[in-house]
Parts: sequence; C-alpha cells; structure tokens
Amino acid sequence: MKKLKQLMLAGSVAFSAAGVVAEENVLNVYNWSDYIAENTLANFEKETGIKVTYDVFDSNDVLEAKLLSGKTGYDLVVPSATFMARQIEAGVFQKLDMSKLSNHKELDAAMMKKLSALDPDNAYSIPYLWGTTGIGINVAKVKERLGDDFPVDTWDLIFKPEVVSKLADCGVSMLDAWDEIVPSVLNYLGEDPSSTDKNLLSGKVTDVLKSIRPHVRYFHSSQYINDLANGDVCLSVGWSGDILQAVDRAAEAENGVEVAYIIPKEGAGLWFDMLAIPKDASHPNNAHTFLNYLMRPDVIADITNYVWYPNAVPASTSKIDEEITSDPSIYPTPEVAANLFTFPVYGPKFDRQGARMWTAVKSNK
Amino acid sequence: MTNPVRPAQFLKSFGRGLVSGIPYFWLLLFFVIPFVIVLKISFAESQIAQPPFTDLTSFADDMLTISLNLFNYIDLYEYDLYLDGYISSVKIAGISTILCLLIGYPIAYAIAKLPPHARNLALMLVILPSWTSFLIRIYAWIGLLKNNGLINNALLGLGLIDEPLVMLHTPIAVYIGIVYAYLPFMILPIYTNLVKHDHTLLEAASDLGATPAAAFFKVTLPLSVSGIVAGSMLVFIPSVGEFVIPELLGGPDTLMIGKLLWSEFFNARNWPGASAVAVVMLIMLIIPITIFQRYQAKDLEAIADD
Amino acid sequence: MTNAGIGRWSWMALVSGFIFLYVPIFILMFYSFNESRLVTVWAGFSIKWYGELFRDEQMMSAVWMSLKIAFLSASMAVVLGTMAAIAMVRFGRFRGKTMFTGMITAPLVMPEVITGLSLLLLFVTLSQALGWPAERGSVTIWIAHTTFCMAYVAVVVSSRLREFDRSLEEAAMDLGASRLGVFFRITLPIVAPALLAGWLLAFTLSLDDLVIASFVSGPGSTTLPMVVFSSVRLGVSPKINALATLLVLAVSMATFIAWWYMRRQELIRQKEIQSAFNK
Repeated sequence: MKKLKQLMLAGSVAFSAAGVVAEENVLNVYNWSDYIAENTLANFEKETGIKVTYDVFDSNDVLEAKLLSGKTGYDLVVPSATFMARQIEAGVFQKLDMSKLSNHKELDAAMMKKLSALDPDNAYSIPYLWGTTGIGINVAKVKERLGDDFPVDTWDLIFKPEVVSKLADCGVSMLDAWDEIVPSVLNYLGEDPSSTDKNLLSGKVTDVLKSIRPHVRYFHSSQYINDLANGDVCLSVGWSGDILQAVDRAAEAENGVEVAYIIPKEGAGLWFDMLAIPKDASHPNNAHTFLNYLMRPDVIADITNYVWYPNAVPASTSKIDEEITSDPSIYPTPEVAANLFTFPVYGPKFDRQGARMWTAVKSNK
Repeated sequence: MTNPVRPAQFLKSFGRGLVSGIPYFWLLLFFVIPFVIVLKISFAESQIAQPPFTDLTSFADDMLTISLNLFNYIDLYEYDLYLDGYISSVKIAGISTILCLLIGYPIAYAIAKLPPHARNLALMLVILPSWTSFLIRIYAWIGLLKNNGLINNALLGLGLIDEPLVMLHTPIAVYIGIVYAYLPFMILPIYTNLVKHDHTLLEAASDLGATPAAAFFKVTLPLSVSGIVAGSMLVFIPSVGEFVIPELLGGPDTLMIGKLLWSEFFNARNWPGASAVAVVMLIMLIIPITIFQRYQAKDLEAIADD
Repeated sequence: MTNAGIGRWSWMALVSGFIFLYVPIFILMFYSFNESRLVTVWAGFSIKWYGELFRDEQMMSAVWMSLKIAFLSASMAVVLGTMAAIAMVRFGRFRGKTMFTGMITAPLVMPEVITGLSLLLLFVTLSQALGWPAERGSVTIWIAHTTFCMAYVAVVVSSRLREFDRSLEEAAMDLGASRLGVFFRITLPIVAPALLAGWLLAFTLSLDDLVIASFVSGPGSTTLPMVVFSSVRLGVSPKINALATLLVLAVSMATFIAWWYMRRQELIRQKEIQSAFNK
C-alpha cells in the first residue's frame, strides 16, 4: 500500500508540474439530462480527438452534495447560477484560463454584467443556457373558469386566493423550490425580490403562501410537465423550457390540450445554468477546449435549436430557427426583459429559515 | 460437541473467528466508520465551504481544541415538525407493515403449500415485478390512481361513481405504494419459514380432532413467528425513512421523517442538522431492535438448554 | 410442508396477490407499444420505442452496469450476510455480540441520503489518504450496495437458522463428519431457500437503488435508476416501459426454462424409479 501511495504521489507531482505531462485525451462532463444537441459531442470528438464521458443529473442537489464533498471526478459541471455562487464561495471551482478561451468575446456583455453579481469578474464560469420561472396554463380550462376576458399574464393567477381557488378543481402545482418561489412572491408584492428580510419572509410572504396553499394540489419540480400535457393540472408554476416541453408534448399527442407559457407582466425570475471547472478536475485543459467549443455561435445555435432554451451568444441568433427566436416566451421582448430579475443567493441562516417556512407551508402546519 | 484434540480446537476457533470476523470487519469499515463521520458532522456547524461544515478540532497556540456543538440536537428538539414527522412516519410504517402482513402471509402460505416443483416458480413470480425499475412501477401507480387515471375512468365508465375519487397525493396512495414496494420483503421470509414446517405436526393435530382453522392458529402460526418477525422488520424499518414513495405518491401534507431529512439536507443545506436527525433516528430504532433480538437469542438459548 | 393440496382460500390469496402485483406491470407493458410519447394516452400500436431503446447507448450501458452491480452485490451480500447470520445465531454469546447484532441491522435504519453521504465522505477521505479509490465508479457502488444488502440477507437467513433442528448436524458430527463437511452437506441445503430468497431480495434492492448510487458513483458509471430518474423529468419515456417489458420477459423466460428443465429431470427420475420397481 505504501508503495502504491508513493506511486500516486509521484503521479500527482508530475501532473501538477503544469503541462509537463500531457493530459489524457478524455473529458468527463456532468450536465442536466436532455440538455445538449444530439451531435454536439460527436462533432467535438471528431474535431479534437478528445473522448467525452457524458453523465447526466436531474437536480442541483446531488451535484452540489458531490461538489462539496470533493473529488467528483468530473472536469466540467453545469450548476444553476445561484448554486454556483455558493459553490464558488466554498472554493469548489478553479479560475478559468481566459487565454484558452478565444471565443469568450462572443458572450453577451449585458448578461455577463448581470452575472458578475454571482460570479465576481466572471472569473469562474460562463453561461450555458438560460430561462425564466413563470406560469404554464391549460388555456381552455383556465378560460372556462375565469372567463374569456381575464388577463392571464399576471401572477394573480396563482398568488391571489380568489383567483387560484377557482382553478383548484382542475389542478394547480408549484415548483418545490422555495428559493425561487419566495423571490417571485416578493416581486409580486412589490418588494425587492432579493430581500433577505426575516420579518418579510415570516410575515407577508408566508401569509400569501398560506392563503393559496389549500388550492395547490402538489409541490414538485418535474411531475408537472407530463401533467400539464395530459390535462391533469391546469396551472403550474415552473421553468420555461419544461413548460414549453409540455406545450410541445400536448400538441404532438393531439389530445385536445393546449398549454401556454406565461411570463407575468409583474416580472419573473431569471435563471442561468453555468459551466464551471472543479478545482480538482484531472483534465482542465480539455475542459477549456470544450468550453471554447461551446461558445462557438454555430455549436451553441445547434443546441438551442434542439433544446429550445436561449443561449448567451448573440452571434448565434441568426442561426437559430425563426420559430424559436420569434417566440416571446422563449426570447422575451425588451419590455418584458426589463422586468426580469435574477434570483438571489442566500446565506446558511436564511437558507434554513426559508426551507423550514416552506416545509411548514407545504405540510399545512 | 467439545473436542479434546487441540489442533481441531484451534481450527474451530479460527474458523469461527473468520466467519464472524469477515462481516465484522466489512461493517466496521463501510458502516461504522462512515457512521462516525456522520456523528462528527452532527456536532459541527454548517458553513459555506468544502466540506460545508466546520471542523470539530482546531489547533491554536499548539493546543488542540475540540468543540462539540450541541445546537443541532437542541434544534431537533425545538423544531416541532420533527416530532410530528417522526410520529407520522412510525404510524405510516406500522400500518403498512400490518397491511403487508395481512396480504403477504396468505400468499406465502399458499406458495408453501404448492407442490415443491411449483414453489420456486411462484417465488420468482413474486419477485419479478421488482426487477422492473422501482420508479416506473411508482409511475405506473400514478397512472392508475390519478383523477383521470385508469381506476377512476373504469369506475366512472361503469357508472359506480359520479365524480373521480381523489386517491393520488393522499395517504391512501402512500400506503398502496409502500405495500406494493415492500410486499416481497414480507412474503420471502415468511415463505422460507413456512416451507420447512413439519407436516406431521398438522396431521397429528387434525388426528386429534382439531379443525383446519384451529390447527392453523395453534400450530402453523406460532411456528412461523420468526418468519413474521423477520418480514415485519424488513418492511417496517426501511419504510420509516422512506422518501421516494411519499414524495411521488403522497400529498404535500404527508409528513414523513425521510422527507424532512431530505429537505433539511438539500433545501436548507444543513448537513449537520440532517446528520443529527439520522443519528437520533438510528438510536431510536436500533436500541429497541437490539434489545428485542437479545431476548429472542435468550429464548433460543433457553430452548437449546432444555 | 408436503402436497397436502392447496385449498380454496389459498388459491384465492395467491390469485388476488398476483393480480395486485401484476396490474401495474401489465399496464406498463401495454403502454410500451404506444405510438404516443405520453405514457398515459393511447395513440395506436407501435414498436418504435423498442428500436429507440436499442439505439440509446447510454441506457443500454446503464442496464448492463446495473445488472452487473446487482449480481455482484447480491452474491457478496449473501456470503457476508450468511456469515453474519451464523455468527449471530450459532455462536452463543461472544464478546461484542450486542454491537455485532446492532451493526448488522443498522444499515436498514439509516436513511438512504445519509448512507450515501457518509460513504461518499469515506471514499473521498480514503482516496485523499491512501490514493484508493482513485476514482469512484462501479466498485464503490458495489461496496455500498453490498453493505446495505447484507443486512437484509442476514435478517432472512438468521430467521431460518433460528428455527432449524440442530439434531441433524449433531448426528452427522457424531458420525464423524467434519465441521466443514456438515456445513456443506447439511446446513447449506437446509438454509438454501433462505439464501435464494436473500439473494433475490438483495438483487432487487441493488437494481432499484437510486439515492445511494447517485452519491457514490463517478464519471461513466451511471446506473439504470439514475438514467430513469434523470429522464422522468420529461415524463417517463415509453423507452423505459419497453425496457421493463424486455426485462420481465427475459427473466420469466429464463425462470420458466429452468423450471421446465428441472421438472423434466424429476419426471424422468420418477419414471426410472417406477420402472425399476416394476421389474
């Protein structure tokens, strides 16, 4: 065992002597499921000869637990921006080597500025894809219950008890993510969505959530996609891409269900999924090569065409299907975009309070 | 049993040592040490770092200081949802265990009564559904139980009900899910117990004029107690901490300790708090179980001594 | 028990039990032939999902990975669990026995999240201190699964050992059989049903585990439940139904062939005995 250890040590010394030993031609990527175009990896392997091991996850939770425990074995991971901010603070990632990222200039400057609130100087990460947290509705059922004239582009649909109570019988669902719901409620109430005021949380916000709780059938972050498409629920607070998937599924199934995604006029939360390299990655060079590849307009345009989430490379827009770029629920109009806010990052104390408030609301206690 | 020859004695104790030593060592390495890590975390404080909790030991001025933080345990006591969650978990697990026993015992009994060549086939049939993925079985139940699901549509079509029965996202769905998932865990131990029963006992009982029912309650049931105990343990213990089933089938107000722990760990990012819950849970379940097993072992020894 | 004939009540219990167990399975088999992507809406017969399943390399490799790990974990768990059960039931009192019994049942009690996390931290610490495991993957999943599966095996096997007539073993021993000989010729055949039951339980537990495997897996070691779970976000794909159907069919075929073969052997033997008598 001792010998083995010495050998390993020798190995790691050789590795850290930057570039003396060439990296193996492999790259381990950990990304969300169904979140890349079909040919992206194959083309990359063809172009560079780097073999990609591509694993998928379904929630930030397990990714975060792995990152915080250390030595994930992955060279590139894709956390959401608020999670990433905390992980940067925990010292999980390494700084990007800008000299290896010649395509970095392609990124949307305004967006990078917004993101620098979460990643100072954008030193650790680049944005991959982004979207909003809004409302998905079953158009016919909502109209039937609220009347044809009811304006549906508002958070009143879910946060006003008089309105949501009329929809309870056809099914209302909500994301099981308090750190996105609480800012949305704050914004709806006209408060600062990134407020970490305890009294606000336990006061006004809790009151709103408790008042609508009896009308919510379930809290879940993925089940609603199918349920919306099947007509099992008629209103879901959810993520743009997921609800657009439901729109697509319902249309494909020709089951008479029409689903629509709404970014309410009061404004909605904006989320980003970020690309970052763990500090203990064994193939950082390859990870940089892949990052640079993903910022190429033609590559990222392919991805957007496939997954229907907007990206952060403006030059790619001309290569994206008209159908996607002209859809205001995917690419918000400038007026809508002005009202979008980014989700805040919470400290441990507020995290605990928020999570417990949420558990109490959910369980009706 | 005693053997006076020395080398044999040595071999015997060596063999014994190996038989108990190997699993002991394995559990020490892969259960006890990890558990000590959990115990350690439960006395720490959460922080934004890698790993996300404070160290218990620190060196300052050449002095080793160990700081145990009892906050998580006090907090456990003060946060009343935990107690509610624990009680409701034990209740749900207990009812599910009884349901499993009521459904599983007759099945195990019937399988044990089958001709020998058919038993293994029936046993495989019991276990086979579990070889499809657990998650899709749960999703199949969602498809059955939901408001416009198959059961409701069938009942509506037959005119038995006018409005769909709300089953999904209720405690009923959780019971169905747990019973469905854990039924093989009840059937198998009871079956392995029943199948070795000596049939002559039953015949003797019926020769003495006992009705089949009386023979069953007087002879078969008492003899199968250890199978029932094993099966109940395998159903009850894991379902107390069950997470996936209440999460997918239960309603938001189905409070279970597994769900609370999950949200403490992932949503509140409170690893120390979640570890404290696990430690307390382990103690609250393992002590009664060990005491119970000791009594069982004593009974056995008493029988052996007779 | 012998062929005392299986009564009416037993038949009813058996049939209704199997209906309960198999209704969801038949439903998901049925929908694997659904044209539509939505699992619960029937849109016509199609076998396209079977084609898609075989083209999905990620899922196919996850299936093999899961079956391999489940087989190895179940086998190891049966060996360790049986040893533990023998030590618990047979060795009378020994030092540390209470701790031993507690330790064996404890993995049943630990919530999966905590088991997963604690093993993850152990592996990280070990790899920092000893350089092993250099990378997490199928070996670490195997270790984790073996650990919690052996608890189940120990419970099942010890329940059988407790009620077993030791006079047989003693008789054999009196006749001069060695300890090991007695174990293999007498003890093992008697506990065999419990070993089979324990192995089957362990296999299914390992095959179904999502949470622990997610924690202790590494790059390139995705198991089936992980693939299923990460894809259910977009609704259960009928591909997964197709996979479940194939698994059920393959296992039931294999079981049936094994049963049929054994049954035939038995009948041949009976015939031989009979003809020997007739002569």
